[in-house]
Amino acid sequence: MKNLNIINLTKGETFLHQLTGTTKVRLFAVLMVYVMMSFDLPIILPLFVFSIISIISLKPHWKTIQPLIFFVVFLNVLNIVLYWLANPLCGLEYTGDQTILFAYTDYLIVTRGTLWFLSIRLLKMLTAFSTSLAFIMSITPSELAAGLTNIGFPYKLGSIVEIAFRYIPDISRDYENIAVSMQCRGLELDAKKTKPIERLKQMVIILIPLIVTSFDRVGNISNAMDLRGFGKGKKRSYYSEYPERRNDKIFKLIYCLIALFCAYYIISGFITPRVPKMWIYWRCL
Amino acid sequence: MSKSPIVEFKDFTFKYKSQLEPTLKNINLTIYEGEKVLILGPSGCGKSTLANCINGLIPFSYPGEIHGSCKIAGNETSHSSIFSLSSVVGTVLQDSDAQFVGLSVGGDIAYALENDNMPREEMLPRVLNSATLVGMQEFLEHVPYNLSGGQKQRVSLAGIMHEHVKILLFDEPLAALDPQMGNQAIDLIDKIQKNNNCTVIIIEHRLEDVLYRPVDRIILLEDGQIIADMKPNELLCSNIIVEKGIREPLYLQALKMAGCNVTIDDNPSNIFDIKLDKYKEKLVSYYSNVDTSKPYKEKKVVLNVKNVDFSYDKNKALDNVSFSINKGDKIAVIGKNGAGKSTMAKLICGILRPDKGEVHLEGVNYLNYSIKELGQKIGYVMQNPNQMLVKDIIKDEVSLGLVLNNKSEEEIEKNIEEALKKCDLWPMRNWPVSVVSYGQKKRVTIASILAMNPEIIILDEPTAGQDYRVYTEIMSFLEKLNKDFGITILFITHDMHLAIEYTDRAIVFADGKCIGDDSVFKILSDNDIIERASLKQTSLYSLATRLGINPESFIESFIVSERRKRHEKS
Repeated sequence: MKNLNIINLTKGETFLHQLTGTTKVRLFAVLMVYVMMSFDLPIILPLFVFSIISIISLKPHWKTIQPLIFFVVFLNVLNIVLYWLANPLCGLEYTGDQTILFAYTDYLIVTRGTLWFLSIRLLKMLTAFSTSLAFIMSITPSELAAGLTNIGFPYKLGSIVEIAFRYIPDISRDYENIAVSMQCRGLELDAKKTKPIERLKQMVIILIPLIVTSFDRVGNISNAMDLRGFGKGKKRSYYSEYPERRNDKIFKLIYCLIALFCAYYIISGFITPRVPKMWIYWRCL
Repeated sequence: MSKSPIVEFKDFTFKYKSQLEPTLKNINLTIYEGEKVLILGPSGCGKSTLANCINGLIPFSYPGEIHGSCKIAGNETSHSSIFSLSSVVGTVLQDSDAQFVGLSVGGDIAYALENDNMPREEMLPRVLNSATLVGMQEFLEHVPYNLSGGQKQRVSLAGIMHEHVKILLFDEPLAALDPQMGNQAIDLIDKIQKNNNCTVIIIEHRLEDVLYRPVDRIILLEDGQIIADMKPNELLCSNIIVEKGIREPLYLQALKMAGCNVTIDDNPSNIFDIKLDKYKEKLVSYYSNVDTSKPYKEKKVVLNVKNVDFSYDKNKALDNVSFSINKGDKIAVIGKNGAGKSTMAKLICGILRPDKGEVHLEGVNYLNYSIKELGQKIGYVMQNPNQMLVKDIIKDEVSLGLVLNNKSEEEIEKNIEEALKKCDLWPMRNWPVSVVSYGQKKRVTIASILAMNPEIIILDEPTAGQDYRVYTEIMSFLEKLNKDFGITILFITHDMHLAIEYTDRAIVFADGKCIGDDSVFKILSDNDIIERASLKQTSLYSLATRLGINPESFIESFIVSERRKRHEKS
């Protein structure tokens, strides 16, 4: 299986793929706290670099992830612009710099400090995204289920995730078949020939049989699960949860250290509030 | 040989909570350890309910009222739990897609072990062992989407074979398989039973296919009651199966048609074991005297497919396919899954268009028509009627296609009346779709296509998963449409019986190529085509070979005389 999709159902071969589900889930949880806790450039930038390296190391199928990347970058830039429109002086309290770079009206001004702050904000959001992307691409749904169970979630939750991924392709195939038969009966699905509202109505026509057939299937699936003892005990083991290897142990050390650092950073921040280090370069000059 | 009973029903009656009448009535049945039993019966006779009583879905997932007793391996089921039952009874469900809950072959086989919270290192050798038993050891890392129906079923089987399992229960194992895979499945079940010495219970209505390997006993159910509990040979010699709407094996039909009176001593349960010596003369003389000449009919070509190629991305799905269809033809399009049948159907409907080559409809290149216009000339009926029905009322469903095509009120009224009458649905026109039977739903979908007055109707597996009664209902209805109204019909199917009984010509696909296009009896006596298309030899072929006569003319004579007989009846 090539990595044709963003989410893979079978384990890949690269270094990150080979870690166990539990390691990936724990690492991801810790990194999410890490990236969210501050605006410190010295904290965010290394993770950004590492997450980009991780994505590359996973040897993704670029064509599939490209549209997603473009879409997310676009949304985040839009978010930044709106943020600026809402308060053009938003960077002031962080950077204290009021040097005006551009002034369109009295209200719409771009100061050096704001621009710097917004750039860091954008970087922070992109870091969260690229870390998530690396996580999603490296983990299979079964590993996710195993990992979630191992960090203390009830295993039924993990199973819901797994089952959902199992049947999404089946349902999309049903959808395709129904769409074909409806098109033959004269349903116009061509976007150019119909108004958006009409199209929406026609989608509903397809959804009815899709829901009916999916419900039939749900009954069968739940029987199949019952018959193989799903829900028998309080605990469940996982075929897809590989035993820990050396790399998992190394990563365990890494995420424990990061977790400790996060705890220290957050708690100390409560005691003595700090100004984020933004590496404001013009102050150093 | 006295063996201990493993399944014991005593005066057992079961009524579903939502129903007024009991589904199983006064069942008395004992199945012994190591037996192989076939439970036979038409749809709705209660055979699936009986299976659910054995595996514990009743009463634990489907509540209801139980009278009498049902013991599995000595324990009363109603005092047990579905989990303890599932460790004794392994069930392979009909829908192998739904049963495949894991995301990989290995993961699915391990599913029950995972639920037992077995440590992974203990799991691995067991998974490998089970996979090897069913011949799937090379596929452990594979995802379900690329597996064939037969492979998925094997995985399901591997997933239930754990050390304590004493009973293997198969719910319609043949329903989703093509003929060759069906044979392999029956063969595999046989091997596993011999290996593991477990009890096997098969629920099916396809008698001949199950008898490909011997069974010890056949239980015939009707209306929730056991009406026969016999050895296969006894059952086949009684008239009971034909009366109860079960399809008789083809070779027996052929023997009976020639006036041979088969007895238990002839060992009729298998085509290769049946004693034929005393019938040979009768058979040969009967079938060599059938008049196979056909009245000449003038043929007009409606659809002409010329050198068509089609690829999905880089995968070639159709490779230089050519054939033509005449007005009033009944054609079977055969081939295994992925051979290109569905792609061909989509291409004819205009959902896909050829990369190369041409399709002419009544002499006009069909690229001139939009999908919408084509939809009024070529109708496509899907396999599962539930995937086509969108309206609440039968009449609205039938008029939907016309409404979408902006026809005038009068035209709509006129067309739907005609279509509903052709399908014998006119008195039911104001009924809700949800209350009618499966066969009637199928008719509603066909009526909704007929309302558009198409030249050609394409039916995808029209009888899949249906018992003989519904099968006959649907097929004789379609035959009537063809005969009385001259509608051209294409059946996409892998049911050999359907091809033999109801079609004149077969177009065979394999690996995207059209490898055969000839009359049904010629195709069915061509070993090479049968092999490549994953079909199987019908028992008629084996019968002819055993008699030492030419299979081609034998099958032709059989088809002709069988149809004549059917038409005389109706």
